[in-house]
Amino acid sequence: MKKKLLAQIIFIIFVLVLWQVLFELKIWPKLLFPSIPMIGKALVKAFADRSLGQMILHSLGLLVEGLIIGVVLAFLLSSLSSINEQTAAVYNMIVCMFDLIPGIALIPVAILWLGIGDAAIIFMVVHSVIWPMSRSIIDGFKAVPRIYTEVGRNMGLKGMGLVFGVYLPASFERLFSGIKVGWARAWRGLISAEMVFGGGSALGIGYFITDRRTNLDIAGIFATIIVIVLIGLLVEYGLFRTVEKNTIVKWGMTH
Amino acid sequence: MGDDTLNTEPVLHIANLHKEYYNPTTLVLSDLSFDLYHEDFLCILGPSGCGKSTLIRCIAGFEKYQGVIQIKGKDVEGPGTDRIMVFQDFNQLFPWKTVLNNLTYPLKLNGMTDKNERREKAEEYLDKVNLLEYKDYYPHQLSGGMKQRVAIARAMALGSEIVLMDEPFAALDAMSRNQMQDELIRIKEKEKMTVLFITHNIQEAISCGNRIMVMGKNGSIIENMKNPIEKPVTPASAGYGELWKHLNQLLRDNK
Repeated sequence: MKKKLLAQIIFIIFVLVLWQVLFELKIWPKLLFPSIPMIGKALVKAFADRSLGQMILHSLGLLVEGLIIGVVLAFLLSSLSSINEQTAAVYNMIVCMFDLIPGIALIPVAILWLGIGDAAIIFMVVHSVIWPMSRSIIDGFKAVPRIYTEVGRNMGLKGMGLVFGVYLPASFERLFSGIKVGWARAWRGLISAEMVFGGGSALGIGYFITDRRTNLDIAGIFATIIVIVLIGLLVEYGLFRTVEKNTIVKWGMTH
Repeated sequence: MGDDTLNTEPVLHIANLHKEYYNPTTLVLSDLSFDLYHEDFLCILGPSGCGKSTLIRCIAGFEKYQGVIQIKGKDVEGPGTDRIMVFQDFNQLFPWKTVLNNLTYPLKLNGMTDKNERREKAEEYLDKVNLLEYKDYYPHQLSGGMKQRVAIARAMALGSEIVLMDEPFAALDAMSRNQMQDELIRIKEKEKMTVLFITHNIQEAISCGNRIMVMGKNGSIIENMKNPIEKPVTPASAGYGELWKHLNQLLRDNK
């Protein structure tokens, strides 16, 4: 465990040093290839003077809002679709079709229907979340072992009680993987959308990186990329791993 | 021993129980009738596919049937806590709940509102199966035999009129199996339980049951007798060999 971490740290240091050496060799103009200290300074400046922190919070706020709407809608639609085999088949088709559309391809629709702004971003996040989440719910519920539902019914659970008491926890691994896929897609989609909108009221991290390009601030661009990576790592290791450790790993339900 | 009034009304009354599957038409249970009284320990023996599992699933309320199944005079219409099932599958505990909460949860569902009362009752029954020290474990941390003991404790804590056991020890190794049989007999005597126990193991039926039933092809009863051997039963007990031969012959003739 410690050895692996050490190797990873050594690798990062190696890349940083190599980068700086390449910079010192002056192969490319400074305007296109910034030094490590330049990126560091840009990073500080982004937060201190250009309110990147606020923009990140704004982006994440939209993301969480869209995630919640997407998950709730996925539950509602998946439940409604389970009324009979025909509705299930239709919803299954809808999920398959819409799941194939990259979020970014829906931006023109979002702009025309909802205008440039937060609503369009949320629309895209919901799109990114709802289909993989529906897939997880439908497959996850189907895969719940019969013995759990029978034990639940034996205890007197039925209807929604059975859903919350047995189906949800028993399929948690799949539901959570649906959320993870949804988050990954939404996060990418959100940054793309903000880059396309490039301003207006959509002042998020995607806007920030486009704005740095317009200003020919290459150090600022790399600084933003680093921030995007760090947020991804924080969510993956800080949030998702912690949730998993306290649920499916603790319950011995990982495969 | 319970008093006479308790013993005159059967806990379980089955009359003309009939079940067939269609397409192709297969007779699973044909015209079964028998009664089970308070503190009976009925072992049902039968070759694979004789319908003994279907019988217990009908009693548990998991299957549709024709005829009469009554618990204390009340018709069985679906699962209920007066008939708790202990399955063969070790995975009948909810893996997302601790051992203790696997017992308190069904108590909560069945109207025990006081948290402390639930905990005390669950601890009391875990103690009866000698697993109190494991109360904070998760099911995946227990051995197969321990899981089955928790499942039995859960059934007892719910105050089930009759505990239905579908080959609960069949997946255990021989040593643990004997241990579990002894323990079950001890608990059953102490708690004055009524048990219906499915097995395909003659030794198990003779060791545990005070009544032994043999089912043959098409789900008919071909033997329904009192177990004449005094407990504790060992292969050296008087009459053990004769009874074993008799039951073995019945099973052979009705394959």
